[in-house]
Amino acid sequence: MSFENNSNGNEKEERKYSHERNKSDELQLSRTDMNMLIMNYLVTEGFKEAALKFQQEAGLQEPALCSSLDERIMIREAVQGGRIPEAIAMVNSLHPELLDNDRYLYFHLQQLQLLELIRAGRAEEALAFASATLAEAGANDANALTELERSLALLAFPDPHTSPFADLLLPSHGQKIASELNAAILKMENQEYTNPKLCSLLRMILWSQSELDKHNIKYPKMTDLANATIGQPK
Amino acid sequence: MQQFTVFMDIESSRSYIDELYSSDAVKVMEALVTLKNSVIGSNRQKSSVISQGVVPRLLQLMSEESLDPNIRLEATITIGSLAKGTPENIESLIEKGTATALVEMLKTVPLGSKLAEAALCALRSIFSHKPAPVDALPADMRLLTRLTQIAREDSQEARTSVIRVLAVWCSGTVEQEALTCAGACSAAAAMLVVPPRSVPSPSRLVPALELLAAMCFKNPNVAQVALNTRHGDKSIPELLMCLVSRDKPLVVALKAAKCLTFLQRAGALPADDSRIVFGALPCLARLCTKENTEDIRASAAEVLAYLTEVDTSLQRLAAISNHLMSSLADIVNCQSAAAKQGAFKCFASLGANDEDIRKMIIETHGLMVHVVNGLNNPDPCVSLAAVRCLHSLSRSVQQLRTTFQDHAVWKPLMQLLNDSPGPELLNVGSSTLCNLLLEFSPAKEPMLDQGAVEMLCNLTKMSDPALRLNGIWALMNMAFQAEQKVKQRILCCLGTEQMFRLLGDSDTRVIMKMLGLLRNLLSTRQHIDAIMSEYSSQVMQAVIVVLEGSYPAEVKEQALCILGNIGDGEKSKDLIMANEDVLRKLVDYLAHPESKLQEAALFVAGNLVWRGEAGAAARQQRLADLGVLRALKLLRASHHAAHLHDKVKTALAQFNEFT
Repeated sequence: MSFENNSNGNEKEERKYSHERNKSDELQLSRTDMNMLIMNYLVTEGFKEAALKFQQEAGLQEPALCSSLDERIMIREAVQGGRIPEAIAMVNSLHPELLDNDRYLYFHLQQLQLLELIRAGRAEEALAFASATLAEAGANDANALTELERSLALLAFPDPHTSPFADLLLPSHGQKIASELNAAILKMENQEYTNPKLCSLLRMILWSQSELDKHNIKYPKMTDLANATIGQPK
Repeated sequence: MQQFTVFMDIESSRSYIDELYSSDAVKVMEALVTLKNSVIGSNRQKSSVISQGVVPRLLQLMSEESLDPNIRLEATITIGSLAKGTPENIESLIEKGTATALVEMLKTVPLGSKLAEAALCALRSIFSHKPAPVDALPADMRLLTRLTQIAREDSQEARTSVIRVLAVWCSGTVEQEALTCAGACSAAAAMLVVPPRSVPSPSRLVPALELLAAMCFKNPNVAQVALNTRHGDKSIPELLMCLVSRDKPLVVALKAAKCLTFLQRAGALPADDSRIVFGALPCLARLCTKENTEDIRASAAEVLAYLTEVDTSLQRLAAISNHLMSSLADIVNCQSAAAKQGAFKCFASLGANDEDIRKMIIETHGLMVHVVNGLNNPDPCVSLAAVRCLHSLSRSVQQLRTTFQDHAVWKPLMQLLNDSPGPELLNVGSSTLCNLLLEFSPAKEPMLDQGAVEMLCNLTKMSDPALRLNGIWALMNMAFQAEQKVKQRILCCLGTEQMFRLLGDSDTRVIMKMLGLLRNLLSTRQHIDAIMSEYSSQVMQAVIVVLEGSYPAEVKEQALCILGNIGDGEKSKDLIMANEDVLRKLVDYLAHPESKLQEAALFVAGNLVWRGEAGAAARQQRLADLGVLRALKLLRASHHAAHLHDKVKTALAQFNEFT
């Protein structure tokens, strides 16, 4: 098989891969789809007020609010506010089997409680609490043990906030656990998507880009996800 | 408001446990919630409160119908949490009557209520313990109907829980029939529907599939019912067919294929049904491939083994797969006992009936080594499965002669058979040995050393006719073209008493093989003379017993053949000639209506009259006196005996020409 090697052929080759910016603009995204994605994010993550407001402003139909939206909001607030026993009691009242089924999640919640004690400087209580409750999970799960050790290591430092494990004391850690708990509740209710669809979309972008990179293909790459900056193909 | 203390230690827990006995409902409620929150997530706490004796009080609070439903609910939820603890926790619960209490509750608690759901979840957790307290659930029709109603109508969680309980409970024919009467098939069918464009949820599908499988296993009645049960416009087999496709989660596909397999084996679906041929079978083959986890592969191999165990067309169909043999060989190589067992059983099934498939299996790279390793495996389930595999392959023993010799499969096999084997192993192992003995002349000597003869003689004494048959058949094969040493050993070990016992066996096949053994022993001249010199009276007696008794024709034929063999011996001829009784019978049999008996008698006569032997003239005279000559002439003239004419003519030609 032989190909005619003329300049036309070459141009076609290039056009196949190189992509002009305006071409992607031609892709039509429906406004409704966008709104549904945003609504899904708000509802999944538990931003009820924002969801209702958004529904009004965007003129959408009644959002599919899961029955547990209110409870999930309160639970998230309790977790992020450091009121762990309260959060646990609410989860147990909503889904009594959840924390028994997911001991690792239970451990994470207990760990937050421990971190609260450490943050407040109540070192002795922290140690007593760790040995009474967290030791059990640490004994059964290697990951839990590592995380327990990191948490307790904070006590070795005069100022835990400047220690190598300071990230545990940041609010972002609490948010991470809160999201974990939120997803677990949604899963228990057999919701199809326990994470907002937007998260899946972002993951898809990252995955696709890495696959294209593996094959050394030129394409307009999104270099900054937060700002959706798309660089020019090199 | 509850106190949100940071943690509970044993001292403070005692205080709220006391409150459980309070007469103040509010205090009781508070105590329950605190207790519940302390045990959820912590096995240590569960063990602690159980050892403090809290369970009976909880059961009381749970079961008392006059109590506030919220109290009952919290108590039930707490029990449910305790049931998610350690196996010891669950045993304590069972011991204190938790399972029975929950079942009682389910009889009266309103359907669709949170209390019912909590009770079901707790029961399900308890039933996931091994052994499950199946006695707590009687096969009571009213109760079962209630449960299947829940399985049809209640919330998702309740339905799944009740189906899981029933799947565990369904352990025998009684339970299978009871559940079918109570309508469990249609309840299960309802759970198998996957709405279009939705993700199939394994947590919903798997319990229903397990229940269906448990119900249909080896039960033709239930399988028929399942065949005809419909949900919406689809029957159960059609629903199952949807679930074995490639886009379904692997566990779901596997369990659905298992259900279809059980339906087929129980006779509800024919082997050529499209849902087997295009559904279950390819699905199971696909699940055996290397990219799946060991668990999935092991289970798939096991189910495939069961599906193809009997039907040759299915065996052939499975063997067509271009990857199955190598996939199974890879599974055999896995670490777990379940994987090895599944793969060996699958090879055993596939190679059961078809010579070409056996060839394919044997040629699978490295398999025979695995089989020998399997025979040596300490786990009895694995070694039994390896023996089954070997058994199937041994049906092509000629093909395998070199392979088997190279790998000396008989040694570990003998070891297994000598090591107080269970009835199954004894049966399959002795059948295998029987097949192997047909070919392995060189291997016979070492087998003697390993006590093969003793072992086989012992088998002939067993109460199971299948084992007796294997024993005597193996001895028969062993004696075939064997050395005198081997033959002596067999006779000596078996003993004439046992020989007579076997000749009177209730199973005709055993008698046939016993006579076959005698025939093989009495072959080649020197052996015949040697054996008859020692055992003449017993052998003759045995022959006479059979010829005189009311045995079927084929048995008598064997006896005549033995006589014929004896007649071939140099000195032994005289033994027959000395026995007038036998000679008269011979005459009778030459005229017997049954053709094969005539032929056998002819064989005897032919040997006795043979001219080339010393003393032939005297024998011929004697036989003529008794009427043998006349009988032979009659035979030659008979039209019915046309196919024997050549032999008759030869016999007659032996006689010196005197009338």
